[in-house]
Amino acid sequence: MITTERNTVLQQLVSGASHDELVWISGYLSGLLGQQPNRAVLPHSASLNITLAYGTETGNSKALAHKLAALGKRQKHKMKVVALDQYKPTQLAGEALFIAVVSTQGDGDPPIAAQRFFDYLIQEQPDLAGLQFAVLALGDSSYPRFCQAGIDLDQLLRQNKATRVQKPLLCDTDYESAAIAWFDQLLTGLGDPDGQSVPPMLANAPAGPAKKVYAGGITRHINLNDRGSDKATYHIEIAAPGIAYQPGDALALVPENPATLVEDLLALTGTYATQEVSYRGQQRPVYTLLQKELNISWLPERVVAAYAAIVQQEIPETKIGLKDLLKIYPLKAPAQFEEVLQVLEPMAPRQYSIASSPAAHPGEIHLTVALDTFSVAGEVRHGLCSHYLSLQEDSVLSFRIHTNNRFRLPPENKDMIMIGPGTGIAPFRAFLNERDADGAIGRNWLFFGDRNFTTDFLYQTEIQSWLETGLLSRFNAAFSRDQEEKIYVQHRMEEHGAELYKWLGEGAYLYICGARVPMAADVEATLLRIIARESGESTEAAQQFLEQLETEGRYLKDVY
Amino acid sequence: MSTKLSSTERIKTDSKGLRGTLKESLLDEHTGALREDDQVLIKFHGMYQQDNRDRREERAAKKLDRLYSYMIRLRLPGGFLTPEQWIAVHEIAGQHTTGVIKITTRQTIQLHGILKAKIKPTIKAFNEAILDSIAACGDVNRNVVAAAYPSQSAVHRTVHQLADKISAYLKPKTSAYYEIWLDEEKIIEKEETDELYEDRYLPRKFKVAIAVPPNNDVDVYTNDVGLIAIVEAGEIKGYNIAIGGGMGSTHGNSATYPRLATPIGFVDNEEKALKAVYEIATIQRDYGNRSDRKLSRLKYTVDQYGLDFFCDELERRMGFALETTKEVIFTTRADEYGWQQTENGTWTYTLFTENGRLLDEGDVQLKTAIYEVAQTGKANIRFTCHQNLSLCDIALPDKPVIEALLKQYGAIAHTEQASVVRKQAMACVAFNTCPLALAEAQRYMPALISSIEQLLHQYALDDEEIIMRMTGCPNGCARPYAAEIGFVGTAYGRYNVYLGADRAGTRLNKLYRESQDEAAILALLDNLFKQYSEQRLPGEAFGDFSLRAAWV
Repeated sequence: MITTERNTVLQQLVSGASHDELVWISGYLSGLLGQQPNRAVLPHSASLNITLAYGTETGNSKALAHKLAALGKRQKHKMKVVALDQYKPTQLAGEALFIAVVSTQGDGDPPIAAQRFFDYLIQEQPDLAGLQFAVLALGDSSYPRFCQAGIDLDQLLRQNKATRVQKPLLCDTDYESAAIAWFDQLLTGLGDPDGQSVPPMLANAPAGPAKKVYAGGITRHINLNDRGSDKATYHIEIAAPGIAYQPGDALALVPENPATLVEDLLALTGTYATQEVSYRGQQRPVYTLLQKELNISWLPERVVAAYAAIVQQEIPETKIGLKDLLKIYPLKAPAQFEEVLQVLEPMAPRQYSIASSPAAHPGEIHLTVALDTFSVAGEVRHGLCSHYLSLQEDSVLSFRIHTNNRFRLPPENKDMIMIGPGTGIAPFRAFLNERDADGAIGRNWLFFGDRNFTTDFLYQTEIQSWLETGLLSRFNAAFSRDQEEKIYVQHRMEEHGAELYKWLGEGAYLYICGARVPMAADVEATLLRIIARESGESTEAAQQFLEQLETEGRYLKDVY
Repeated sequence: MSTKLSSTERIKTDSKGLRGTLKESLLDEHTGALREDDQVLIKFHGMYQQDNRDRREERAAKKLDRLYSYMIRLRLPGGFLTPEQWIAVHEIAGQHTTGVIKITTRQTIQLHGILKAKIKPTIKAFNEAILDSIAACGDVNRNVVAAAYPSQSAVHRTVHQLADKISAYLKPKTSAYYEIWLDEEKIIEKEETDELYEDRYLPRKFKVAIAVPPNNDVDVYTNDVGLIAIVEAGEIKGYNIAIGGGMGSTHGNSATYPRLATPIGFVDNEEKALKAVYEIATIQRDYGNRSDRKLSRLKYTVDQYGLDFFCDELERRMGFALETTKEVIFTTRADEYGWQQTENGTWTYTLFTENGRLLDEGDVQLKTAIYEVAQTGKANIRFTCHQNLSLCDIALPDKPVIEALLKQYGAIAHTEQASVVRKQAMACVAFNTCPLALAEAQRYMPALISSIEQLLHQYALDDEEIIMRMTGCPNGCARPYAAEIGFVGTAYGRYNVYLGADRAGTRLNKLYRESQDEAAILALLDNLFKQYSEQRLPGEAFGDFSLRAAWV
């Protein structure tokens, strides 16, 4: 709490002091304390005016914000909940207490919906002196830049002179109880606002099933796309005896780097495979570290910058792999390689929505994995994880189950509309199989889409048998490249808008899975159009209708 | 005789004028197939639903349905196209099909590999070129074929016009084709009565051919109805009528058999010929077997009721008597390859297209050649019943331009270099699209002929016009039972071998050996060719020798 040096001075001052002297010193210190700026102490048990702003991708932040607001209301605080993409940042100066709940996407980025708010703080640098705030950050500690968006937001607000009332809480995948405790602490004014020198609090995720690592052998491995397709989408079946999961959950997988790449790196740097190295406090052979733990294929710019500092060269900001980096900007000395290892980041796990149903496929987990193909400088490259999976026949995978309570089957008597183009069909295959096995009586309507009917119709024969048995009441498919004009799932939804609206009116649940951009956005825009058209109401009313669905838990998204 | 109607009969009568649920089938987004009954009905619109049989297993493993596509066949009486129409066909083939233009054994063309979603655009494009596929398949009067050579004589012009008239006269009256494929408004109030087909159509396919002796290029006796033009002093005096021809049979069903048409009489003008064809169709409609489709062709009706009954009934329905059949001599069935000058001085070039497959392959760019010729607008196109293509009505001054184009794309060399037997041979489609195929045909026959050519060469038989035909099943699309050597597939890689038909197509062959594989076929042919080369009489055809040598 206090340095040895200062403590010595203090002891000198108070040792042998008279009672009166001590009273005076105490009063003097109290006075000093009273004059200190930016020291927020919330009035105990007073009614607070709190704005809870959420930046959400999957709906987790939003759900949490609403939950906290309900808690606050019960304790007689005035609570306002607002989405960051709806929030006017100029209102910040007028807020009494501003609590931001933000998740982190991809490589430490804020959700798209919060980006504009972040940009405002960075570019406008508004004077926020007088604003009191706290940040609740959501993330997944399996990723290298865990909760980075929350950490950044906390820092940005402080840089703009806002006053932090409590340290940010960094929440892992199982966050609810920690978040509530943090919020309680904040409301009762017991929170510790202290800043820079103190790391943010980590919400302790219990070592529950969510973090347990399983191993499972691949028993089936099929490319679902026919010859002539420009895509490759793998149906992968993994033996998973006794592994518990629910339809809607995802499987998280850490890929291995290709052995040839690791060997190339070792050769380039003159390192022995068995050489022990230290990385983040642990010793292991360099080969294991490179193959199983570190991201070496596509390095983020910050890592490239750190590498540039080590080799003392100018390196342009670009997407580049470690091998190319070592080739083009060689190390000054072999010993530098260990330094380089330290700036590399762990590989992030990839998540795949599970395509199987525990009830229909006991002891198995099925995945639908699209081989990610892109081109760098005119060369065709593949995403590491999907490529890794595309090659793994008859091998054993290590994975975790990522629970997703925000994407669950409706009650068994409720109707379900599923919009799942491409690999977005995966969780719906799980849903439909589960409903089939359970004998659920709700009707099911599936929208699927892909590029070409003849080559890219994923799970076509399964869909046909679901139609034959009546498991699917309706099915629509859109193939974008079979004709000159592109036709997507939203076009099919539009064609059947009246029926779709009727289903919603009868209580159907609506699910979307697949690419966040542009699919999910286009689908949502279409939904709003359909609702407005069929109800004869305004766009605003349609928006409210959809929000109401969302509040009722009947509009669910699993988008990526 | 069982009186229970076959399921196809129910489909026809319930079809609301061949409409069925075709419109709904086209909208089914989960499958490239049609609903079951519609798969039958679409034949009457000139199409077959097929699937790529080579790809079934692999696609099933990928959880993909069979690779369904459609074959569309044109109604092309007499097998005639203008150059403008050819250009349209060429371009349509280049868009939604396999790209191969297939000339059929019945003087028309068909395109394969059209996906369900592309049927309507394809038919629309044909329609713009004044072409349709109405009744090109199904239990109706099929494409009417007529003698192809030489196309400019007045006699041939007359038979081509007759082919058109028969086709129009026996065309189904329903407007379903226009509603379903061309989005034309349904005329609700107008009652569609079809006096010929009623609501049940014919019991089975119905094929009509018109021949001009002495060339039997149309294989006239293999048709349900054959009209043989009786020409005197360059004028058609009338037509002999033959009924009850048909190739199809079923392995292991002795009640089924190929049959050549029986001449029943002569009519002395075109009007009577038309009337005769029409009433033969109505008798078949009323008396044909509708419970067993394997026994429902006209040939079985004729044999069941007897010729006397049939002729009496026909005369009663026509309202006039048949005259005595005139004597007819056919000498050949061969196409006249290369340049031929016709009576009116114009020129025809007949091109060899092996098994009717018109495509570009290496130096032989037949498809491009015909396209380029069509672009000049200086030649019409006529198909032959041997799956070949004639460029016709070419004026002498235009001949060099066309010859140059044919040379440039390798068409002339291809025609001239093909052996005599290859140019006489035919094979049906079979694998990979024909659902009936038991064995390969057009994909295999060219290679088999190469081996046979070597055998013939050994015995100096290179110039013998031996007619060889192969089908992948016993239904007989390539008329194998009228070949001097017929191969009929029984299982993959195995064929029944038939011998003994005559060169002019007036006598069927007979079964010689069953289920032979390639080695056995070549061994037996080696032996037969050896005997034939040593023992034949001067000018004796292989088919005739086969009988004399008592091989069959």
